[in-house]
Amino acid sequence: MGSRGHPVVALWVALALAVAMTGCGRRDRGTTTVVFWQFSPLPAIQPVLDKFHHEHPGIRVEVEQLTWQSGREKIVAAVAAGRPPDLCEIGSTFLPGLVADSTLIDLTDSIADLKPELRGWRVTEYLGRSYAIPWMLGTRAMYMNADLMRGVGLPPENPPTTWTDFARAVEQIDAAGPDLKGFGMNAGEREVLFKKFMPFAWGNGGDILDSTLTHSVVYSPQNVEALRFYLSLKPFSLLDRQEMLDEAFTRGRIGFTISGPWMLRKLPESAPQLHFVVILMPRPGKDRGTPASFAGAEALGIFRGAKEKSAALTLARFLVREENAMPLYIATGNAFPAAAAAVEDTYFVSHPRDKVFVQQLQTAVAPPVHPRWVEIEEILNSELEEAIYGKKPADEALRSADQRIGALLQTGR
Amino acid sequence: MRGRFAGLLPWSLFFAVFGLVPLLAALVLSFYSMNPLRPDLTHWVGGANYARALGSPAFWHALRTTAFFVVGTLPATLVLAYVVAALLSRLRRGEAFFRAAIFFPATLSMVVISLVFKSLYAEQGLLNGWLKGLGFPAVHWLQDPRLALPSIMAMDVWASVGYYAILILAGRKTLPVEQLEAARLEGMRALAIERRIILPHVKPVILFVVLLNTVRSFQIFIEVFVLTRGGPLESTLTLVYHLYERAFYHFEMGYACALAYLLLLLVGVILLLQRRLIARAPVEVPAEMPLAPAVPRGTGRGAA
Repeated sequence: MGSRGHPVVALWVALALAVAMTGCGRRDRGTTTVVFWQFSPLPAIQPVLDKFHHEHPGIRVEVEQLTWQSGREKIVAAVAAGRPPDLCEIGSTFLPGLVADSTLIDLTDSIADLKPELRGWRVTEYLGRSYAIPWMLGTRAMYMNADLMRGVGLPPENPPTTWTDFARAVEQIDAAGPDLKGFGMNAGEREVLFKKFMPFAWGNGGDILDSTLTHSVVYSPQNVEALRFYLSLKPFSLLDRQEMLDEAFTRGRIGFTISGPWMLRKLPESAPQLHFVVILMPRPGKDRGTPASFAGAEALGIFRGAKEKSAALTLARFLVREENAMPLYIATGNAFPAAAAAVEDTYFVSHPRDKVFVQQLQTAVAPPVHPRWVEIEEILNSELEEAIYGKKPADEALRSADQRIGALLQTGR
Repeated sequence: MRGRFAGLLPWSLFFAVFGLVPLLAALVLSFYSMNPLRPDLTHWVGGANYARALGSPAFWHALRTTAFFVVGTLPATLVLAYVVAALLSRLRRGEAFFRAAIFFPATLSMVVISLVFKSLYAEQGLLNGWLKGLGFPAVHWLQDPRLALPSIMAMDVWASVGYYAILILAGRKTLPVEQLEAARLEGMRALAIERRIILPHVKPVILFVVLLNTVRSFQIFIEVFVLTRGGPLESTLTLVYHLYERAFYHFEMGYACALAYLLLLLVGVILLLQRRLIARAPVEVPAEMPLAPAVPRGTGRGAA
């Protein structure tokens, strides 16, 4: 091998050094580096971080964008490898599992002063302790095609507010043409079904678990009534995945669809001729129930294995401030600041459709933070799917879900 | 001598780090209960993960779905690939163009192919547009539990046929042209030549294609992940997707590893059976096949 071996050895030494050095550099002289993983596009978050750097010259933020498709896997892999980010944006449906496994640090005592300033604490709390800070809140509202409403003689200025009015409008629009459907009902993607059904159940006074989080209340008269109503819309609905429903609404083919604020930015660009209105979810009756919706949140959590916990908390406290969260909403249009003061932001005066989502948040309900939420959600979704596909009637599907969740809660963890 | 092995060192190390170590680690993990979020709580459970899998209705359902996918796609892919290869070999002009065109799907990422088919299968997609044009009602390709898996299978066949056709074509090209000419002089018809001369000659390639396609089909994941996520009503819940859900949604890494090894075992048994079949094949696999398909014309080869 002789002298020919040296370049090979040098190459491997260089590689080994490079690998070893990737773990260095978190703390330069006088500067702490915080590794921050989040889901917003970098051009949207960077101006906020530039402001942070200006305010905190001793902390440098190393930001990385996660994707909705693989972010969860990346976080799990990083935690498993013992190299989690210092601060991480975590979706509310992923949070219970992390809390249950004690993966996140308990922030309760460090953030007590933030309690009155932020909304959405329910999604970050378990047994009275806070394991993350609500950053952005998301909900869904009802999109209504104003032209289709007008076409069937219903004034869009008086949108349906009750189940009865809503069902009538859905039926009438469906009858207006062979290519038209009254409502967009999610199907073919089990993971979102409970988010679309539970608003009707929550609005009717139903729930998933009792207040102690120890018993299932899925098989309740309120939930059965809500599911029966939801399924009554099926004959007049287009059954498809969310992205396809959004597209069908964009093309003016469905009268109503439940969707998020992201459509507000998309519709004027992709369908400038479409006249649409965003309204609150319908409630069971004029004097009954609430216009409930699903509440999700993007929270900021610090992992047990994080290296720079203190600096990460400083960054989190900065990010949740109204003046820093609002630009992110304006840039992305996905979720609203958890900062209570954001409701009064002048942006919503000039953007009335966005304001409907802010109003919807007032009556939106978050699923319970329970250690076994992933399994509870899976059971709910699978039983709802059976009901939507006509394999089980509403009461049988909910009874089955109730029994399965009840059995799950009894087995402990 | 040492220099030669030094050349292999980078690849060997790469394989060891990214292939062998994870493979062995997964084997070890399959005997543990391991939550990746709490690695400190990892504990030995022996064969419990395997016992649990074998007693799990979800595992058997996923296995049945996967087997249905394999059995459904394999013959269709093989027959179509053979026919395409036969047609390509008969082309007098533009063979290079058609060969490239038919091979094109193999150069695309399965994610891209799945996204294209997602819009093709959409309620307002191209396929339903054609159906409506012919006066038929729209079909819910991915929303109907009876159609979702066959729709994915059809996509998979489309995506695979070109690659396997090129392999079979390469096998055909190794048939000496003199043999074919002799058969023609003896008055054999085209179908008889295909059945009695070409087919036996490309049999090892066909067996190779069967083997490759079987292994690949058992590993179906991306298509399901992009198009249906196992639904509707679990009609597309394949074994690898089930494994993925257990690992990354339920954080049961030990159990997921056990599922992976059961799949490995199953594929291994099938692979052994197919190797035996290959060994029994009357014609040896030519050394230049399948990586060197085109032997220049006029050398006595490449006329099939």
